[in-house]
Amino acid sequence: MAVQVFDFGISLFEHLFDPKKRLFIGYLIAALGIAFFWLLISKKLTIRLALRKIFDRKVFFSTSSRADFKVFLINRAFTLFISPLLLTQLVVATFIFNLLLKVDWGTWSFALAPSKAVVVASFTFCVFVLDDFTKYIVHRWMHKWPLLWSLHKVHHSASHLTPITIYRTHPLEGILFSLRSAFTQGISIAVFFYLFGNQVDLFTVLGANVLVFVFNVAGSNLRHSHIGIQYWRWLEYILISPAQHQLHHSIATEHYDKNFGATLALWDWLFGSLHHSIETEGLALGVEDDTSEAAHGLYALYVLPLVEMANYLTKKTKELKAAIWRVAHRLRWRAKPGLKNRIKSSS
Amino acid sequence: MKISKSKVRVIALATGILSSSALATAAFSENTYGPFPVTVKGYSGSKTNSVSYTGQIARHVLHDSLKKLAGKGDGGGNAAALQAEMMSYFGGSDKNKAIIAPVDKGDFNIKQETVNEISSGKNLSGKSYKGAVTAWPGQMTGGEVLASMIAHAAKTNGGFDPSTGYNFPQLISKFAMGAVFYNQAVDNYLDEKLAADNKPNSKPYKDGAHYTGKEHVWDEAFGYWGAAAHSLNLSASENYEVAKMKNLSAADANGDGLIDLKSEMTFAHAYYASSFDKGGNTNYMSTVTQAFIDGRALITSANGENLTDAQRAQLVAYADVIGSNWEKVIAEAVFKYAGSVYKDITKLEGLMAENGDTTKAFATYGKHWGELKGFSMALQVGKKNLGETAVKMNRLIGYGPVLMNASQVTGVDSQGNFIKDEAQSWGEYKLHMLKLQSMLADQFGLAAKVNDQTANMADLADKLGSADSAEND
Repeated sequence: MAVQVFDFGISLFEHLFDPKKRLFIGYLIAALGIAFFWLLISKKLTIRLALRKIFDRKVFFSTSSRADFKVFLINRAFTLFISPLLLTQLVVATFIFNLLLKVDWGTWSFALAPSKAVVVASFTFCVFVLDDFTKYIVHRWMHKWPLLWSLHKVHHSASHLTPITIYRTHPLEGILFSLRSAFTQGISIAVFFYLFGNQVDLFTVLGANVLVFVFNVAGSNLRHSHIGIQYWRWLEYILISPAQHQLHHSIATEHYDKNFGATLALWDWLFGSLHHSIETEGLALGVEDDTSEAAHGLYALYVLPLVEMANYLTKKTKELKAAIWRVAHRLRWRAKPGLKNRIKSSS
Repeated sequence: MKISKSKVRVIALATGILSSSALATAAFSENTYGPFPVTVKGYSGSKTNSVSYTGQIARHVLHDSLKKLAGKGDGGGNAAALQAEMMSYFGGSDKNKAIIAPVDKGDFNIKQETVNEISSGKNLSGKSYKGAVTAWPGQMTGGEVLASMIAHAAKTNGGFDPSTGYNFPQLISKFAMGAVFYNQAVDNYLDEKLAADNKPNSKPYKDGAHYTGKEHVWDEAFGYWGAAAHSLNLSASENYEVAKMKNLSAADANGDGLIDLKSEMTFAHAYYASSFDKGGNTNYMSTVTQAFIDGRALITSANGENLTDAQRAQLVAYADVIGSNWEKVIAEAVFKYAGSVYKDITKLEGLMAENGDTTKAFATYGKHWGELKGFSMALQVGKKNLGETAVKMNRLIGYGPVLMNASQVTGVDSQGNFIKDEAQSWGEYKLHMLKLQSMLADQFGLAAKVNDQTANMADLADKLGSADSAEND
């Protein structure tokens, strides 16, 4: 137990020093710098005003932000116990790789012989793009399917966004994310090893995928912040700007189900969910049907989603039962005359 | 001082008990294969050690020498003479032949210089696998395959035939180790010769022999395994160095400054076992050698009587340990060279793309392919029929390496010449190597897995990092 408590203590801070994590100190500093210069240059604020804007007490000490932090702490403890049980990408990769080896492709030829650099670059690119795409798909499902929305609502109930809001996630949703990641990476690894064997590798900077690194250095932490940086219109077709993501958190109905993308806006553009950024100053964030203080309590964040899901399932089961009963009832009516006829003819 | 008669009797008895128990300890808990006392009933000779496997060591030496000769071709000029010389090592038993390998290397001085100093009248052909070898074109027996390879090897330049990609020294050596040593040991000595009525322990192996039937049967199997008698006292690396003739002190068990091939050298599959064990994930060498020593101690403990059913069951259990681990060693070798072939093709592809010189890389590819093929053929001449695994393995490897023009040997004509045909792309062949590694690892439960072409998978998974923290983008 003592060891676990110690692990827990360590795990709270490891995110700050792990360049594979969004909250890595370097990425936070990069985001600060970008925000600072953007406020100076684009918003023409003075240095003092810019700093005051960035470190806005109203944002960081809001009920919503304090709730984010509580969820972060509780989820870390939860992760410590649950993560050893989760499917890892290596299990998925090995399984798929072995499946691939059993497939007979017939005369199809693997005449691929690129250099190692090409293999590594392709893998780095593919794993990044596939990861981003599956994030888009799963995020879309989280919004469109009522059962999943009950979980995802926890994240959207934040009325103020800070970098820590990325951890405002229901644990069950966390498990789904972990599975998504395991499958995406597992498939990428298996397919590339099938094609190129041990040549496959990842281009990394400080141990992180170089593309993830670039995304994070370019201010990924500003997505969840009150700094509404907008990109050029053309760029917002390709990359999601911080303001575009903040709009995704907006209460306004016209912003519902828009900008699901994580890094690339391409998916939103392709599947019709793209919305260009707007001026986010004064934009109300959260879930429309509940902006009360209670929405940031532990009951609302952990238990309510489960209650909602249970209610939804009960309702659907009832509907299903009713439907089955109706069908059975109709069949019985149809069956009866036949039965009568058979009895008649036999007597 | 006067000692009473009764006291003398007590001392004599005590000394007797002590010395006989000391003898028993010496016989049954040693780390070396022998010496074991003579137990055969009615033996009147002067021998005190019943261990004898010199015939097997002679065959190891014939094999090593044959491999060396297989690389001596000058491109056709010496073909007839070379073939005759190779055949005398393979099939002849008439004249005393010089040991061509292993011979002195630096301070590693070999005690024997001729085969007859070890054992006379031995050959390889008489003990070669008698069944049909489906892994090689021509529907031949093991012995016929080796003789045909010898004929082809004699015509090459240095043992390598670029037109087929065959490296004959490797093919001959790796297949012969299976077709003679492995086959004789696991499919003969450790199989039917362990039956109660076959070479019984209550009789000498042959008239006048100083060892029983079972003792000698077991010794012969051990001889084919190829471990030095004291190999359990050495680490995997040391055993490996002995085979490579790099570690005199490890090899020279009796400290006479000479390496006695009869007991101090590591040969054949025991060498490969130590090479895998060096990696730290396996201990094939000590497992097999220990089972041999334990089995021999068990036979000795029967003291020249027939083995009881329980003793024979225990002996068969030791034989199973030996057989299954020996098989794994060969499968590990196939696995390793499948990985080498994969890497060689990748390298050749790179050279082709850059229009570089492929001569050397192609020869390396041929060498590794020869080892791959030879070991895979060896794997199929054990005690059990590998069935579907063998069929799949042979299809994945094919009759020859895929050549630069994507052709491959597909058979032989009536003259014994190899026929080539358009086969498959290198990419496809590389994939075959991955499939082969995956199949071998599953079928034989491999653990050393040298040259595993998917070993980096785990590292890569680590690099990508886990997603156990719930981050909501």
